[in-house]
Order: sequence, then C-alpha cells, then structure tokens
Amino acid sequence: MKKSEMKKHSGQIITAIVIIVICIILGLLKPGRETLLSMTSPEMQKMIDADASSTRKRVTVTYNSLFIINYASLSTSGANVMSERYVGFLGKVYQADEGVMKVVGQMVNYTYRMLGVGENLMHGAKLTITLTTLTVLFGVLLGTLLALGKISKKKILSKLSGAYIFFFRGTPLLIQIFVVYFTVPGIFGFAWRDLFNVNDAEAVYKGAFIAALIAFALNSGAYCAEIVRSAIQSIDKGQFEAAKALGMSYGQTMTRIIIPQSIRRMIPNVSNEFIMVLKDASLVFAISLMDITTVSKNIMTSEGSYLVFIPALVIYLVITAFFGFIFDKIEKKFSVYE
Amino acid sequence: MSDQYEYILKTEHVSKRFGTLEVLKDINLSVKKGEVICIIGPSGAGKSTFLRSLNQLEKITSGKIFIRDELFLHRENDHTVDKLPREKQQELLLEMGMVFQRFNLFPHKTVLQNVCEAPIIVKKEKKEDVEKRAKELLDRVGLSEKADEYPSRLSGGQQQRVAIARALAMNPEIMLFDEPTSALDPELVGDVLKVMKELAESGMTMLCVTHEMGFAREVADRVLFMADGIIAEEGTPEEIFTSPKAERTKNFLNAVLEA
Repeated sequence: MKKSEMKKHSGQIITAIVIIVICIILGLLKPGRETLLSMTSPEMQKMIDADASSTRKRVTVTYNSLFIINYASLSTSGANVMSERYVGFLGKVYQADEGVMKVVGQMVNYTYRMLGVGENLMHGAKLTITLTTLTVLFGVLLGTLLALGKISKKKILSKLSGAYIFFFRGTPLLIQIFVVYFTVPGIFGFAWRDLFNVNDAEAVYKGAFIAALIAFALNSGAYCAEIVRSAIQSIDKGQFEAAKALGMSYGQTMTRIIIPQSIRRMIPNVSNEFIMVLKDASLVFAISLMDITTVSKNIMTSEGSYLVFIPALVIYLVITAFFGFIFDKIEKKFSVYE
Repeated sequence: MSDQYEYILKTEHVSKRFGTLEVLKDINLSVKKGEVICIIGPSGAGKSTFLRSLNQLEKITSGKIFIRDELFLHRENDHTVDKLPREKQQELLLEMGMVFQRFNLFPHKTVLQNVCEAPIIVKKEKKEDVEKRAKELLDRVGLSEKADEYPSRLSGGQQQRVAIARALAMNPEIMLFDEPTSALDPELVGDVLKVMKELAESGMTMLCVTHEMGFAREVADRVLFMADGIIAEEGTPEEIFTSPKAERTKNFLNAVLEA
C-alpha cells in the first residue's frame, strides 16, 4: 500500500472511531428507562400501580431506545384518557407532549419502528436490506449465466437469454411480483405460506418474502445480465486470443481470465443496481411485507402523521451511503493490479 | 507421436478473405525444425493474418495447413473439408507458442502467475514443477526479480519478455512472433530482440513478423517478403537485403532502410 493511501485510510478510520466514541458517550449519558418512566404524573403513576394488581391493563407503555436517544410514551384507555410522552437525551428527560420535543419524540418512535429494532428480519430496514442484498446476490449469479448465454455462439442459448432479458426489462416489476405472489400459486394450487409451519405466526410474511425474493431476483437477473455482458465485452480481445493461443478452453478462458477481470468493471454498475433494488424494494408494500415504506405508510394512516416520511427518507439515504461506501472499498480491493 | 517428419509446419494454397477483401492469396510455406524465418513487408500485406491463421486465431478461407506432416486443416470456400480430430488438433496447437504485438498479458495475475497459468490448467502439470520452470524462464529473460509484480508495473519491454516466457512455459516447438517490438519504445526494443536472438540460437523454430530489419538480417535463416497477400520474394537474408529481385522488395527496402 502506498503512503498516501495509508494516510487516506487512517483518516477515514479516525473519523469512524471519533463518531463511534461520541455515540457511545451519548449512549451512556442517555437516561435509562426507569428514569424516563419515573417522570410520569401522579395520576398516571396511580393507574400504573393499579394495573400492577389488576388483570385488566389500562396503561400502554411504549419505550424506544435508539442508540443515543430514547423515548417513552404512556397512554391510557377507558374513561380517563391520558397520554404522556418523554424524551431522554444527554442525561436529561424532556417532556414531549408539545412543541419541538413532541416532534423529536415522534421521530425517535417512527425511526425505531421503521428500522425494525428488536424485531426479526421480516421488519422495517432489516427486511429492506435483507431483500436487497439477497436479490443482488442472486441477480448477479443469474445475470452472469444469462450474459454468457447471450454472448454464446449457440443461437438458441443467445435467443433464449435475449428473450428472458427482454421480458423482465419490458414489464413492470410490480406486476412481476403479483404474478409470482398470486398467479403462480393460483395456477399450481399452493400458497406461499405453506412453505412454513402452520403454527409459525409469521408464515404469511415469510411466504410473501420468498415470493418477493424470487420476483426481485428474476428481475434483477435481467438487468445484471446487461451489466455482466457489457463488462465482459469491454475486456480487450487480446485477452481471449492470448488465452486461446495458450490452449485454454472457452470455459477456462471465461472463468480464469475474462470474468475475474470483468468483476472490477462490473462493481460500479452493480453498486448502482443495488441502490435501484433498494428503492424498488418499497414495492413489497403491495404484498403487505413490512419494509420501511410499508411501516411509514401504516404510521401515516393510523396516526395521521405526515412527518413520518422524512425519517423514512433519511433511513434510505443512510443505507444508500453505507452500501455505496462498501462497494467503493470492494472496487479498490479489486483494483490492486491496475 | 513420431519425431520423423520432414516439415514441422507447412501451408499449401492458403487464402483468407474478409468479406470481399482478399488478405492472403495462395500462400505456400514449408518450415523445417530449427529454422528461423522472418516475414517482412509493408503493413496490410497480410503478414499478421498469416501468422494468426497458423494457430487458428483466424479461420482460413481455403487451403491446407500441415503440422508435422499431418494434415491439420483443409478448407475450401469457408468450409472445412478435412481436419484432425479435436483433441489431436488441440495437442498440436499447444506446440505453437504465440507472442503478440500488444503483449496481452493477463493484468489481474502476477508475472509468475501469468507464466504458470496455462501449464497448470491446460496441461495439468504440478504447480511446484511449473513454478520452478517458470522461475528459470523468467531468469532467462532477465526478469526473475519481477516475479511477484503485476504487469502494469512493468515497462513494455519487460512485459513482452514476460509474454515470451509465458509462451515458452508450454514447451512449444514453434514460436510465432507477431510484430513483438512494434508497440515498444525504441530504447526497449533491444532487450526483447536479445531474448529472441538467444532463443533462435538455442535451436527454437521461429516465425517472426517483424519490422526490425537488422534482426531479420542477423538472425533469420530465411526471409519472406510479403506484399498484397502474397509472398513476393523469399530467400536468405543475404539475397533479400543485398540483391532483391522483385521491384516491390526493392522499393520497400529502400523506404525502410533509408528512414
């Protein structure tokens, strides 16, 4: 590694460490759950105490902790409707029933729910990231096969790959999702949730996830095929000739010489495809998967909060930036020989 | 495989057309083992195409190619009339090493990996044996200390010498050189020619398309002058360079040697 690269590298590492340390300090300074809940009004406290000895709970306590800030909301149902909200930050507890702190509290709550903190992979940002990553992974694999088919000298392979790519690029992804989720099981007489245990409370979600992944991967494969094809065709013809002159077969030439060189050229485009898929993943709201978009829309409809979409945008941006950074690193790693 | 053959390489009536453009017209050439043949001539004469059609980088339109007196390929009007079975063809093709004008090293592999790749994956030789031989070859071309560098860190002349070592690693009987020094800076040409000269002296059969008249004159056993897709004149370097007969050869040599 060159000195200048080292310097750049260590600069990034130092920045990352500083940010992490600040976050840890802020996290440690944030008041705990007990402190937050101890701020409640005497009336609320009374009802909480009453709940403790009753089977019928009347107070709903929501507590969200987001790294450096936390939020608690207490609300009662029944005759005596009350609600109180608190935000904890930097050792202090703020009342969040009105004004700026109310908005801050809402943002913490929405972000918490959209990220899917404390939930499994079927929720919020976790779902979005899982679906996107798996889609691009399968998409690139499928795309490589399709690309090899398309540039193949065998007419039939080339035509079939071409038709596949034409079909999946020429129809809307949303309808492709519908076809996989509704039409295919309809024709063959099964349901996606049947793939999972009947007693699994999330079988429906998981089934829908599998369907979505299949639709996304098939679709992404068509786009990745073009990425892989153009990368392969950008490799100097001399490389094929040199390999052939050395007696390598077509398969050996592809796997050992051409594809390894194409990978580096693919990375910027795959990175681009990743970001496209990340955003397209919001289409899963149509088959009721709980990704970031669905959660934000649900919050909007159930709580009438038009502000929810702002943290949603920020979450998407942060994910995009993070993966952009990762792809950048991968590209550097593959560029050692240049 | 018998070692009893008259010509290691022979072509009869080889022609090549790109569309309506006739690049090669009826080329007949016989090469004996150990011969060093230089092919000179103006650009567009079909020199490179001829060399490339010998190891099947170009498909000839018609004609016959013999390797070790065996009919390797016979084509007429873009149709294969006769050829050896695939495996046998492959085996014979491995006897031809090729060095390109633009080196065509594998940029994602180190110098040593470039040299070792084909013997390991094509000939399925043991990695240790190949690496040992590769190091000797790199030593022979004067680049043993560059074994772990990537090609992009090397000068053109060094890259070309690696390319020669890479071709030699397959233990070929014939080496084809396609203008090996044309893409090099003038001061780097000497090192490559030196390696080629040593190779010729070691008894390697060589076919060189070249613009280095000094090299051709000094090293070649026979010089072919090609123009417009035909061999316009052939003879010993002495004959070609001092008393060319054909008008085209005279003009060409005048133009080149004056420059």
